[in-house]
Amino acid sequence: MLRVGIPRALSYYQYFPAWRVFFEALGAETVVSPPTNKAIFAAGNSRAVAETCLPVKLFFGHVISLVNKCDYMFIPALRSLGRKAYYCSKFIGLPDMTKALVPECPPILGPEIDLNKGRRELYHAIYHLGRHFSSDKNKIKKAVEQAEKAYLAYRKEMSDRGITPIQALDETHRDEDKSYLEPDASLGLSIAVIGHQYVIYDDYVNHRLISRLRDMGVRVFTPEMAEQQALDVAMTKLAGAPHWSFEADIVGAGEYYLEGKVDGIISVAVFGCGPDSMMIDMVRHRAREFRTPFLHLSLDEHTSEGGLLTRLEAFLDMVKRRRRVCV
Amino acid sequence: MRIGIPHCGNAYVIAEALVQKLGNGKNQLIIPPPTSHRTLDLGVKYSPVEACLPFKLTLGNLIEACELGADTLIHARGTGVCRLGYYVKEQEQIIRDLGYDAHFFTLDVSQNRVKSIMRLIKELANDAPWSKIISALSFAMGKLFALDEMDKVIHKVRAVELEKGRANQIHREAVKAISEAQTVREVKNTAKEYIKKLGQIPKDPTADPVKVGIVGEVFVVLDPFANMDIEMELGKLGVEVERTLSLSRWVKYRLFLNYLGVDEWEEVHKAALPYLRRNVGGDGWESVGEKVVYARDGYDGVVHLAPFTCMPEIVAQNIMPSTEEDIPVLTVLYDEQMAKPGMITRLEAFVDLLKFRRKQRRT
Repeated sequence: MLRVGIPRALSYYQYFPAWRVFFEALGAETVVSPPTNKAIFAAGNSRAVAETCLPVKLFFGHVISLVNKCDYMFIPALRSLGRKAYYCSKFIGLPDMTKALVPECPPILGPEIDLNKGRRELYHAIYHLGRHFSSDKNKIKKAVEQAEKAYLAYRKEMSDRGITPIQALDETHRDEDKSYLEPDASLGLSIAVIGHQYVIYDDYVNHRLISRLRDMGVRVFTPEMAEQQALDVAMTKLAGAPHWSFEADIVGAGEYYLEGKVDGIISVAVFGCGPDSMMIDMVRHRAREFRTPFLHLSLDEHTSEGGLLTRLEAFLDMVKRRRRVCV
Repeated sequence: MRIGIPHCGNAYVIAEALVQKLGNGKNQLIIPPPTSHRTLDLGVKYSPVEACLPFKLTLGNLIEACELGADTLIHARGTGVCRLGYYVKEQEQIIRDLGYDAHFFTLDVSQNRVKSIMRLIKELANDAPWSKIISALSFAMGKLFALDEMDKVIHKVRAVELEKGRANQIHREAVKAISEAQTVREVKNTAKEYIKKLGQIPKDPTADPVKVGIVGEVFVVLDPFANMDIEMELGKLGVEVERTLSLSRWVKYRLFLNYLGVDEWEEVHKAALPYLRRNVGGDGWESVGEKVVYARDGYDGVVHLAPFTCMPEIVAQNIMPSTEEDIPVLTVLYDEQMAKPGMITRLEAFVDLLKFRRKQRRT
């Protein structure tokens, strides 16, 4: 059975369920790299130039950890998933960068995903991808349909049950910590954490931010806990037509939760993120209008856990006091 | 309408020449003062911290234009993948927060999209007939081409002149003379005269300049304030500089030749294909391709310029070292923290390396 390597990084958090179903329907096996650890970081960091952002460095580390464990490496070049809305350059250049920086990488399956060119081109790209595993056109078509269904089910499960991708993806985490779902949350604070999935769900990058907040008795909301459509509507309201494919997850989620009257917003971005450097400011500006406390965490490989914790505690103290004064 | 524009190298020359020919009517053009440290300070003060240098500089220009009373601000936008597409959204908000009542006019600068450019020109012309507009345009283009041609010559002369600084002096005179010229013919003659003067500068007979190609993100490559006069500094070190990107080339292809099916980047993209298969937005693809082309053409090295955190150029930076066509690349990243002496030290070290390599290759 052919094994397809999937790095647990970047778009993994968004699309893995679809990819797994697709490859399994074509009779291949998916191999996922382990959660980010120090060795993975060190490996990735040693290859990429220093200016590269942390998640992309980690991506190379994940690829390196999968070398010799799979026959193909799946690294799609994500360009666009909506009309005139784009991914960051680094997503588009990912297959080529991997080829340049990790020469020992197994053959890369790097279809270009560009919805801007129309669905026809997209199907063409996916069909070419499927050809590596099956020459049966119908089988590939069916695999695509199943993958699409799996993606929608995954997305719906997260918004319906209010769980994070980590909980939805991993059976062992599935039922942990349901306290925040209880209707009586009057005691705890509600905080929206906004950012890219590969930042807010990679515990190595954010030093277990979400579980830390939950330990402090905070009810955490993340972009995935809202319906995609609601995010899109909120985004259009604040910033008009999107320029980035993930604008709804940041700007949309910011606006959505601000309107939902959360007690505070924490935006998490990695240092050097181009899209975030602009988008976060939109949300910050909006939070000022709502008079909602806003904390921006800019993370990189040098971020210390202690410093992060101090800032979190100070922010929560401030939000708590503010709520007491206001009520 | 009082229309304010940001600066980018000598782009203002086009605007200035258009106004000179078409005159001011109800629509006026406001050219902010040349980019200065004040511009940068203003931009840095009001921009998001992690925005890139072109964002901060152009924001500074636009604020300075607002101070002069501009009510319509021009900004470029490409259907690309880089932050440029988000500039307008963000800058509009910042300008509004500062209390200026100005709206934005977006110029689409991507291939085969000249509608917005044409609309802007028509607005600027205060409904003058197209015949008059076209003659004004060709006058403006004439100036731009003359300036860029002058640049090409000076890049070669600077490296070998006997008395350092002579070429720059003539160049300064030339820029002034060209901007004062009143007709296309006058522009052409002035350019010819000064190019001749540059050619007559006494040269060092022993000079053996290393040749370097400049690639990278278009704004920092074209704007001498942004790149801290890197071409001049290289010239001082006795380096012959070549740069493909120029405004006149851009105008030539975007407004005319692209429509005839000529793609100025075809060769460069083809050269990049084995290493980077697709456009990654901005100028990343071109940077990789140009490095390959310069290596094939026997250049000694490549200087790669980019704003700090520029996404397309980071892709290029990651890929460039592994190309088979192997020449040294020095990446210089610009932000508001950058100091010129630091850049010069790095250039000196790089040039030493190139000279050493050349000597080794010859023996």
